[in-house]
Amino acid sequence: MLGNAPSFTMLSELLQGTDVGGFLLIQDSCSYSGRHLLKSFIDAALNREEVVHVLGLDVSEEELKEGLKSFVFQRLHFHDAYADPLGWTDNSPFTVHQFSSSRLTELLKQTAPSKPATLVIDSLSWVLRHISPTAVCHTLQQLKKGGAVRTIIGLLHEDMHSRGIVGSVCRLATSVITVEPGTKGEEALAKITKRSKSGKVTQDEQIFSIRKDLTVTVLSKPTNPGHKRSTTEEQVDPTANLTFNLRLTDAEREAKEKLALPFVFSKEKKTALLHSGPGSGKILYEPDASDDYDQEDPDDDLDV
Amino acid sequence: MFTELNSILNTSPESFTPGEFILLSDRQSDASFLIHHFLSFYLKARCKVCFVALVQSFSHYHAVSQRLGVSLTQAKEKGQLIFLEGLKESLSVFLPQEENAGHQAMSFLRDPAAGLRSLYEFVQSSVVESSGGGGASAEQWGPPVLLMDDVSVLLSLGVRVGAVLDFSHYCRTTVCSQLQGNVVMLVRCDGEAEEDDADDEGSEQLMRGLTHQSCLTLHVQGLPTGYCRDIHGQVEFCWKKRQSDGQHAPKKVFQFKVHDKGVSFFARGTSRAVL
Repeated sequence: MLGNAPSFTMLSELLQGTDVGGFLLIQDSCSYSGRHLLKSFIDAALNREEVVHVLGLDVSEEELKEGLKSFVFQRLHFHDAYADPLGWTDNSPFTVHQFSSSRLTELLKQTAPSKPATLVIDSLSWVLRHISPTAVCHTLQQLKKGGAVRTIIGLLHEDMHSRGIVGSVCRLATSVITVEPGTKGEEALAKITKRSKSGKVTQDEQIFSIRKDLTVTVLSKPTNPGHKRSTTEEQVDPTANLTFNLRLTDAEREAKEKLALPFVFSKEKKTALLHSGPGSGKILYEPDASDDYDQEDPDDDLDV
Repeated sequence: MFTELNSILNTSPESFTPGEFILLSDRQSDASFLIHHFLSFYLKARCKVCFVALVQSFSHYHAVSQRLGVSLTQAKEKGQLIFLEGLKESLSVFLPQEENAGHQAMSFLRDPAAGLRSLYEFVQSSVVESSGGGGASAEQWGPPVLLMDDVSVLLSLGVRVGAVLDFSHYCRTTVCSQLQGNVVMLVRCDGEAEEDDADDEGSEQLMRGLTHQSCLTLHVQGLPTGYCRDIHGQVEFCWKKRQSDGQHAPKKVFQFKVHDKGVSFFARGTSRAVL
């Protein structure tokens, strides 16, 4: 965690859309689609009376508008690049190769000449499949600086691209939300990285769920034990539930070190054995005169 | 058609959700029984079916469908089924002595880098014909359905992952969005799930891309504990959208056993052999 923990949840702060001229990136993967969250952002922007332009590549107009309230549709402009993004059927209003800042600015100005609008791109993965990452980043940067766009919100399927490409798009973004499936039911986990203009980076993790009317409920903060449990579950400690003790306390260690092991031949033991105390048996041997004990050859008397 | 599967998916030939992209995938297992299910399902539902078969011959599918109570030859004669036999067509691309009807569906074989526009145009012409031109003699068929078995073969034929995804995108826009029909595609992954992203161009990436496009995925896997005579594997059902009753059921896992004429599904650990 860099910086202080924000008192207000970052996800709802982002949904309120306070930063102008930003680029918000929602990253998702196969296991959890970020489109629900993207729609929540569209819904929130429309509720703030903003004009929203959607460049739909991965999603049809019906699918995108499903769930949104119909009375806001006059402020929502859908640019259909879904039906024919490559010009195969020759009825394309927008092909993916027209993805440039000048063309997009033109599109935005057709309908909303007065106020800077919010541009939603669903999804950047489609664009990146056909246009080089440098050109895409260049376009995004120009749009950010251009002034015609209030905020850019992009969806990126991060598992479709190499880490380098994902990294370079993330670098452009002022806020990155990575969504992952939660531990139960409709819950999902959002990892948020936010760069403020001063360069301060704030990171946070939140569990949220999206209701049918696209409102986002933030359920808990990362300090919540419920969430902690989910992370520890991934790396199970094999020494957690043993019937015996693996570690020693200081007192136990001291006692252990004091104890002499039975077969270690210490100095005390040696002397005790050699000079046994009174009362114990002793063997005294005095050689007879007849004993012909030869020091050189003790086995001399054997008949071999 | 397997009735047990219908009840899991909450559909029947009389009422099914139109405009769906269904992805079937398998890993170290065989999901082709699902293709046979959907083929007989949509034929029974009186849909106009376009079947792009890249891995087996017509007679194979015909034999299996007959066991499931559907005749493909009859459906073909009635004009309900349009069958692209990839194995035959690809030969005629290289040996063009046969004066065929002349559709260029498989012409991508000559230049795989150019993309699958020709195959898409075949699909489009066969599904659009059905909904647009209702001839005097022709019966009226329901919404069009595109079935593909299986798309990962295209990778082996030299087509890039991106090109296959473009193709599937166009199939989705035409069949699902414009004509309110359904698309069912099968994709195979042979690798391990934990494999690194090192090989960017591969069936893994194709499966991920198609999963992003789909609204329902059926993923067939072998049992993690290995082969078993009484349980052939498990299917993971993943719904992307909320169900019509507002309930959000993202994932269900069932184990299955393929029989001679059907498949039985059961919750994990409740196989008859175990209990």
